[in-house]
Amino acid sequence: MQNPLSFCNAHRAPLSHPGWQLAPGLLIALAIITLTATGVGALMWQAPALNPAELWHSRYLRNVVSFTVWQALLSVLISTLLAIPVARALARQPRFPGRGLLLRLMELSLVMPTIVVVSGLVNVYGRQGWLTGVVSDVIPALTWNLYGLNGIVLAHVFFNAPLIARILLQALEAIPQSQKRLASQMGLRGFMLWRVLDWPAMKPVLPGLLALVFTLCFTSFAIVMTLGGGPGATTLEVAIYQALRFEFDFGHAALLALVQLSICGGLWWLVMRLGEPTKVLSERRFSQPPPRRDNRGRARFCDAALILVFAVFLLLPLLAIVARGYPGLATLPMLDPQTPLFQATVKSLAIAVPAGLLAVVATMAIVAAGQFPKAKMVTHSAGYLPLIVPPLVLGTGLFLLFRPSLGAAGQGMLLVALINAMMALPFILQLVRGPLASLDQPSRQQADQLGILGWYRWRWLHWPRLKRPLALALAYGVGLSLGDFGVIALFGSPGAPTLPVLLYQQLGSYQLVAAAATGLWLILLLLMIFSLAHVLTRAARFRPFARPKNVSVMDIRHA
Amino acid sequence: MTYSLLQRIVQNSQTALLPAKTRTVLGLFILIFTSLSSATENPELTVYTHPSFAAEWGPGPAVKTAFEQRCDCQLNYVVLDSGGDILQRLRLEGASSSADLVLGLDTGTMELARSTGLLAPHNVNLDALDLPILWQDPLFVPYDWGHFAFVYDTEQLPNPPKSLAELIAAPDDLKIIIQDPRTSTPGLGLLLWMRHVYGDDAGAKWEQLQKKILTTTKSWSDGYFSLFMNGEAPMILSYSTSPAYHMAIDKTERYQAAAFSEGHYLQVEVAAVVASSPHQALAREFLGFMLSVDFQRHIPLKNVMYPAIDLGAELPDVFNRLIQPSRTLFFDPAEVAQHRREWVDEWLEAMTR
Repeated sequence: MQNPLSFCNAHRAPLSHPGWQLAPGLLIALAIITLTATGVGALMWQAPALNPAELWHSRYLRNVVSFTVWQALLSVLISTLLAIPVARALARQPRFPGRGLLLRLMELSLVMPTIVVVSGLVNVYGRQGWLTGVVSDVIPALTWNLYGLNGIVLAHVFFNAPLIARILLQALEAIPQSQKRLASQMGLRGFMLWRVLDWPAMKPVLPGLLALVFTLCFTSFAIVMTLGGGPGATTLEVAIYQALRFEFDFGHAALLALVQLSICGGLWWLVMRLGEPTKVLSERRFSQPPPRRDNRGRARFCDAALILVFAVFLLLPLLAIVARGYPGLATLPMLDPQTPLFQATVKSLAIAVPAGLLAVVATMAIVAAGQFPKAKMVTHSAGYLPLIVPPLVLGTGLFLLFRPSLGAAGQGMLLVALINAMMALPFILQLVRGPLASLDQPSRQQADQLGILGWYRWRWLHWPRLKRPLALALAYGVGLSLGDFGVIALFGSPGAPTLPVLLYQQLGSYQLVAAAATGLWLILLLLMIFSLAHVLTRAARFRPFARPKNVSVMDIRHA
Repeated sequence: MTYSLLQRIVQNSQTALLPAKTRTVLGLFILIFTSLSSATENPELTVYTHPSFAAEWGPGPAVKTAFEQRCDCQLNYVVLDSGGDILQRLRLEGASSSADLVLGLDTGTMELARSTGLLAPHNVNLDALDLPILWQDPLFVPYDWGHFAFVYDTEQLPNPPKSLAELIAAPDDLKIIIQDPRTSTPGLGLLLWMRHVYGDDAGAKWEQLQKKILTTTKSWSDGYFSLFMNGEAPMILSYSTSPAYHMAIDKTERYQAAAFSEGHYLQVEVAAVVASSPHQALAREFLGFMLSVDFQRHIPLKNVMYPAIDLGAELPDVFNRLIQPSRTLFFDPAEVAQHRREWVDEWLEAMTR
């Protein structure tokens, strides 16, 4: 018979059996690997004959591969060089008006629909762009052409520099208070502060982050084509799309996917070999960080200038999007459930919210399983596969697997949510792995001795540390799914369109004003989601009788 | 049934002034229920199509209503990204496909679709067709057509080139936006257009044209929305019918198509019956209906293409103000299928030299 007091018995805490930590995550990871293998395998199986030799004999393909790598490297380099000073400046200046909004916009950049952003960028930097106009009036000698490598890199920096800066900022903010105080008392500034404080905080985060951004740029598609200027600017993903959609050459597509898999996969393997878990996020312990010695006087002025330039860089295209979308949005009856925009919003959320939740739960399971050394390789690879394997290949594989049961529309929606969740995994993994690993070894051991295991461990030790990263992760999961067009287009959408599908329908039917409005609305919705995630998990105001925010092992023992 | 009950609750709740939030949540439930429940008494006809056809303002909804009134059946659309995706989906599903009809293939994807062997003959009387070419295909029934053309901004470019030759010989500061033949239908259209006019010299001509190409976008939408409407280039590859939409709906004469003296390349959009469909007769009935006025009257302004039959006085006035190509250029779809890869490679070679 069940002992009613068994919850007190630490050894029988719910979910405390190691299997509960290992099995779900391992199963999910294996499922992802199986799906990917099926996708690629199915394509190869449908192909008449594979000829790997054609890959390196074709001048075109060699050019495609080298261009893909080159533009991705350049994008990563410039994004990082911009992001590091911005992150430091933001860390030095923890308080100024609009900082919160700037951070939300930085979080947003990754999930914005590309076609809308490209339109905004063109409006500012294009041939008729107004910044181009202003600059050529002031300095006539300066000639700038958006179309070509310039434009590709500019757009990639716009999407990725804010992401890098945002995550680096969190690494900087997670520097232990004791270290900050010591550095402050020693009067460290400038290069010394960088060497002692900032660089050690950024170093463990950077490899994973750069690999993530490299992969994003490597697999970039529409941006590269729109701003690339011609077919000379082609990424492997374009070649895969061409082979799959237009030539139905499945074998060729599978081969190209394998090339992509080996380049990006090799990079991730290298990053994993570098070992240290990417500490991407950590909680802040005090609301009043000790002051840094380098945030006053001239340094403050320089920081302000840098942050201003960065904010303008982010805001200008967004303003262009607002200016273009506002006329259409203002005339829409927003709360009328009959408008396509309203219905699309409901449908999008019906897919995106479950997808986001699913992604977060799956990530937690994978991270939990990843704590077991033997499972590590499997869970790590599974976490990044969805980013490297072209969605088209993945989708085709899934389709072949699920085909017999694809009848009802509801299942289609479920499948879309499932794939969206899978696509969000790599990002969420980056956000969650750090804080989970931030639980130091002594605390772990003490928790083990005290039998704080299973559910209690998650509830009392991990949850306070994970609450904020998880909220942000959920926002990313929902946001990525909300902006997704590829997967839903692949499986077909029964009934009302989702927001991105609506946007493309409007574009395809010349409804350019309505399309601009939909694009703006999508961005506003994303902004609301990120703000909500932030507000809901903001450090609560002082409540004298409330439970302490960060419960340590000691607290539990005394409780 | 639970679903209708829920629906009634929501309808009542709107009058009963429930808080908007509750209504949204209820609406969400309804949505999930609708998509899960699939029990109906009438036969269901499933049509694979692309977004611009099925969109709320596209011809899809009106066509659905009109056909359901006469067929005692239910017409469902499954919306896929493009004609290429419709074909891909069909191939993957093979004989177990849930599609009864495919609608939205075109002269570029038709031959690949034929080679799958998954489509059935239509047996439809094609006498009513009014196309610039003779059409006798046993599998595919056209539902609309259009000529590819360069659309230009009259404010930026008062005197557009009058021929492909003039465009190619124009000074390099005349910028045009085209689409990539590897990923886009109009993009392939221009490739075939050049090939039709210049034959084996097409490669050399592309090399000359290359300096005038601002960029080559993935899809028509990318170029039209992000670049052309932002004034980035005065000319974009599109359809001769594009100005009809701007004139009729946007009420502006600003965007016009340039008539080229060599003639314009033709695109025909088609539909076909899926051989594995259990509703063969009904599917054929739909194809017949497709060539009736009740279907075709929605084509001109909702699909912004020419109707496949003569609509007479029902053709909107703006369509009489469009350019009339002196010659229609067209390759047999089988020939395109045969040479497609070779011609795309020739284009790539010329453009990346």
